[in-house]
Amino acid sequence: MRRLDQLHGFLSSLSSLIPLDFQIWDADGLVYASDNGAKPSHLTEHQAFSAQVMNQAIYQSSSNNGQAPMFGMPITYGQEVIGSLIASSSNDHSNQRSKDTVCVQTYDAKRMELFLTHLAGLAGETWANRNEIEAVAEELSLSFEDLSLYARISTHMRSLQFSEEMLKALVEELQETLRVDLAFIELPDREEYNAIVAGRQLQKRVSDQQAFAHNLIRSIPEQAPSLEQDYFIVNDSSTMSGYRELHPEPYRFLAVKVANNSTFDGWLGLVSFKLEEHFRQSELRLLQSMAKQVSVLLANVDLYHDLEQFVINMVKSLVFAIEAKDVYTRGHSERVNRYAMLIAERLQLDKTQQDILNWASILHDIGKIGVPESILNKPAGLNDEEFNVIKSHSKKGHDILEPLEQLASCLPGILHHHERYDGNGYPQGLKGEEIPFLARIIAVADTFDAITSNRAYRPAKAAEKALAVIKEVAGTQLDPKVVKAFKEVFEMTLKAEFETSHDE
Amino acid sequence: MGNNKKILVIDDDAQIRRVVELKLKNRGYEVLMAMNGQEGVSLIKSQQPDAVVTDIVMPKLDGQTLCKQTNPLKKQRPFLTIVMTNRISPDDRNWVKDMQDTELMEKPFSPTRLLGCIDEYFRRSES
Repeated sequence: MRRLDQLHGFLSSLSSLIPLDFQIWDADGLVYASDNGAKPSHLTEHQAFSAQVMNQAIYQSSSNNGQAPMFGMPITYGQEVIGSLIASSSNDHSNQRSKDTVCVQTYDAKRMELFLTHLAGLAGETWANRNEIEAVAEELSLSFEDLSLYARISTHMRSLQFSEEMLKALVEELQETLRVDLAFIELPDREEYNAIVAGRQLQKRVSDQQAFAHNLIRSIPEQAPSLEQDYFIVNDSSTMSGYRELHPEPYRFLAVKVANNSTFDGWLGLVSFKLEEHFRQSELRLLQSMAKQVSVLLANVDLYHDLEQFVINMVKSLVFAIEAKDVYTRGHSERVNRYAMLIAERLQLDKTQQDILNWASILHDIGKIGVPESILNKPAGLNDEEFNVIKSHSKKGHDILEPLEQLASCLPGILHHHERYDGNGYPQGLKGEEIPFLARIIAVADTFDAITSNRAYRPAKAAEKALAVIKEVAGTQLDPKVVKAFKEVFEMTLKAEFETSHDE
Repeated sequence: MGNNKKILVIDDDAQIRRVVELKLKNRGYEVLMAMNGQEGVSLIKSQQPDAVVTDIVMPKLDGQTLCKQTNPLKKQRPFLTIVMTNRISPDDRNWVKDMQDTELMEKPFSPTRLLGCIDEYFRRSES
């Protein structure tokens, strides 16, 4: 029996007011004594009496060998005897005020019994309340645990882009918080996302965890061919053929379907070798909710992929549209894109910047859609007005793409790809570092392709000539840093290509 | 475990106090409780706990002020402070960084992790 502090305080106070000492015993020994065990000589005697009280519900001991009599009452919790309450005359009082003792001995045995019945009832009730509160607090603590897990997992889901790492993190949290031996996710059609995390003890016991998890899942349809719920549970593997064979030691297993409406993605599973515990209802709910979230995420991944493909195809169509109008620039956008990306690699731009540059460079001339074909395809002799229309294409490209939120980051590269390093470009006459870096890269790639596409030169010669021109305008028209990177790219990659494939 | 270490729990939420108390007592720690920062500060001074678990948002005196007022005591007698908050802001990280032996923990907290953090502190301070 646990200590019941309030009750002990009450008994101590009571003992100081009336000539009685109180003790509480349980099957293991003394729990409380109001005199703090001041009478160790009587302890064995008291213990024997307590055992009698607990067994037979005696409430008064025979008052033999001149000792003060003891009264006892079992303390019960429901039907179960959990301890005993013993009252005896206190030493001091029995010596000094023997009248009281006599009184207790002879006249008030009935009252004493009633008094002790109430007191033992109070003790039993206090104990029961205490137990109940602790059980509720324990339950509450488990809910706190679950809540904290929810919070951590949803943080993962928000902060990371969907990836294998995210599912791994989720499974790790599950394994750690629910203290199971194995937690895993199996997605048959997306094996790259499968994740498995084992507790330390398990690593020794199951050498091939993946195979074990896989077999667990594979056995579900054999065991429950018409499973209607979204989960499958094995409380003790030793009682189920098909599961008994999977591991020599008995284990329990819980799996929840990862499914969204009609689509089935796979299973989220837990394994524990601690059979004395069971899977709790709250654990099942938690797992179901995680599985739901994962299925929604997977659906999003598919949608995102579709959307991305759609945008890519859309952009390709737009590029075809410009090139259909302008006979001089066939293949121009793709070549500028390629040169720009080579430069970006050389300059070690990060992945995000490279992605933006990829779109910006392929779309840099998109504004030419808004320029009349008569002007675009005029071989020579553009007047000022016509030239201004041509010059408007970078601004037009910017305006055409502006409504597409997904392409917002590549707008500066498109708008400013005709700015000049010395500030004499268009549309805004930005200068030097004011020009967005990606626009300066596109400018170099664009200039190089404009020169090499000019049929007046033979290709190989054109390439060398173009590089010479570009080096010449570094610092006036073009950013010298980008030109330097381009020169290196040219030497390493482009030069050889132009010599072998174009110059026959 | 426990070794008569005394731990003060300061929170105006009775449920949280109850759960933390249960966990700590079961682990063998002695537990003191306060319902606001003001009570907390006076118990830290009078009872000299070995660890303090405190909420930030509380009536009378908040957790941040409590930490600032009691941090100088740690020079003489170091003790662990765990600050629990609903959302860890960069600002929280900043002021906690300047406090001795002080950890941040996000709510909803895991009682197991809280216990782990306290056990770990005593293990380190004893070795």
